[in-house]
Amino acid sequence: MSLLLQLIANGIVYSGIIVLASVGLSLVYSIADFANFAHGDTMAVGAYGAFATIGVLTSMGLTATIWGFPVAFFVALLVGMAVAAVVAVLTHKIVYEPMDVGSIGMLITSIGIAFLYRSVIQMRFGAIMQSFGVQRFGPIPELQAALGIAVTRRDLLIVAVSLTLVVGLHLLLQYTTLGRKMRATADNRSLAKVSGIRTGRVLVSMWVIGAALAAAGGVFIGLNANIYPRMGFDILLLVFAAVILGGIGSVYGAMLGGFVIGMIHELTPLFQTRLGIPIGTEYAPAIAFLLMVGILLWRPQGILGGSNT
Amino acid sequence: MSGLSLSVPLVGELNREEQLVAGGVVGFVALLAVAVVAGIIEPTYLLFLLSLAGMYLLLSMGLNVHWGYTGLINFSVAAFFGIGAYGTALLTASGSPLASSMYPPILGFGIGILGAALVAVLIGIPTLRLRADYLAIASLGLAEVIRLLILNEREWTAGSQGISAIPRFWYPLFSGSSPDWAPSALDPLFTTSLNALQTAFLNFLLVVVLIIAVYAILKRLHRSPWGRVQRTIRSDQDLAEALGKDTYSFKMQSFVLGSVIMAIAGAFYAHLNLFIAPGDLNPIRTFYVWVAVILGGSGSNRGAVLGGFVIVLIIEGTRFINGIAAIPFDIAPLRLFLIGLLIVLIMKFRPQGILPPQAELIWPSATRGEDDE
Repeated sequence: MSLLLQLIANGIVYSGIIVLASVGLSLVYSIADFANFAHGDTMAVGAYGAFATIGVLTSMGLTATIWGFPVAFFVALLVGMAVAAVVAVLTHKIVYEPMDVGSIGMLITSIGIAFLYRSVIQMRFGAIMQSFGVQRFGPIPELQAALGIAVTRRDLLIVAVSLTLVVGLHLLLQYTTLGRKMRATADNRSLAKVSGIRTGRVLVSMWVIGAALAAAGGVFIGLNANIYPRMGFDILLLVFAAVILGGIGSVYGAMLGGFVIGMIHELTPLFQTRLGIPIGTEYAPAIAFLLMVGILLWRPQGILGGSNT
Repeated sequence: MSGLSLSVPLVGELNREEQLVAGGVVGFVALLAVAVVAGIIEPTYLLFLLSLAGMYLLLSMGLNVHWGYTGLINFSVAAFFGIGAYGTALLTASGSPLASSMYPPILGFGIGILGAALVAVLIGIPTLRLRADYLAIASLGLAEVIRLLILNEREWTAGSQGISAIPRFWYPLFSGSSPDWAPSALDPLFTTSLNALQTAFLNFLLVVVLIIAVYAILKRLHRSPWGRVQRTIRSDQDLAEALGKDTYSFKMQSFVLGSVIMAIAGAFYAHLNLFIAPGDLNPIRTFYVWVAVILGGSGSNRGAVLGGFVIVLIIEGTRFINGIAAIPFDIAPLRLFLIGLLIVLIMKFRPQGILPPQAELIWPSATRGEDDE
């Protein structure tokens, strides 16, 4: 039982990361109308933005901590989100906006953008794995005693911040003017335009939100394990799987899909222990991809379907 | 087979882009010739580079069938390349974990091609009904599944250590010893050993023959009614269906054909490089080939030729930059940067590619009447 609980706990943490990435990808899909293959590398941009910031702040002597985490880390998280947002908006303004090549042309362009991001990161930081250097604590003793599972402070932080960001996005979409404009634009861009919505501005806000959330996801990958230039691309297909699962263009679908994919990814060991099927964790992404293809066949519009952002 | 005539047009008949490309090609060949004469590039290495370019050209022609003819966004090029390479490597290499005896590479080619055709059908069944962008994502995912399988099923594929000691394509010819089953009259064919230059030349010759064969078949097919249906599907699938064409079946034929060409390229690579590892199946190879096709011009075979050479120029040329100038970082990111920049620039300024298909889609006889007037 405790193995199952442990895997579920791991799954919730990993889901948090996938959900953050999925929401942004889904926003771009529904509003800018193309599959953005640079989304994973946007996560890496955010993670490396935070990495550089931590280095600078630590060398400046900022050593204060909150609940064991350096204040520098929280500042770096915000800076990383801002860096990714700026990079995404600049890319949008310089490359995507003036282009007129249809959604497939945009998709191919975004692959080029992904390579540009990754190569610049690699030129500056090298191809090696690096870590934020945030002190590690063991599992929280109270939780271990009560439930018999190992959950660290990092895990709780990732889940808490992911939840906050997702709830924040929900409030933004449902209760603000910008959110209403975004939903209108996603639903029908031409109609939104003739209704007087400045869709150009909506597009920019969409890039800011999507990239900032992706960056937070990237920073959490780094907090959970390591950062390396290919980190974003390596997780991109899982994120696509989540977005497709939830229904392309639906933000809430993306949240649900991200949760499901994150869970499946972490629950892979159950195939071995419960069902006796010898599939190791090395096939966790493969299972998610196969599920994605299955969903595409069974229900191409995804679980929640349509663009009801 | 009048469609096979490889007539060289006069300079005056080319448009401006074609003249520029032709000039660039002539200049580049001259540069290479000077480099070889001056001893900067070893002839053996030059032949290896040309063979590698030929390999990318084969891959590009395969993808051109998918994307250029039919409009299928296939992001699993690396997987079919890998199936071809592993198909032949597992059968022929003395280091293979599967086969204890070395089979001749020609059999390996056959198995690689069969394997690719089979996997193409298996991948095609679920994905070819999907919308364009879904197909892209799904095929990339399935290609990753194949790479993960090759990486992790160690007792079958040797895992991450890869398969070494792959024989040259000509094995057991020129291997130094005559096998028992060969008639003694043929002994010289087996017992002669080749030096490195001769081997490189034979490899180059092989890829040239493969390219000419594939090019001829594709050119013939593309101009046939089959090719016209594919082009119709590409530009308007609903129209093709309205005309009573079974678009799913045509897409599947295109998918299998292109994948088989990719597998041929992979099998050739295995016998050229003599080593193959799961890293060769990384998605980056797929995108190299994509760049080659969109750079050359989607749907254009001569465009694929140009694109294939430019890609090798970037991949191998960056090695030279590293050797010559002291740049402060590794070459891998520079290569990635150039490829990324190339993709963005093409899509921004010339989405139809440098040499988009023009006259090559039309039977010569179709326009001859106008010329006579």
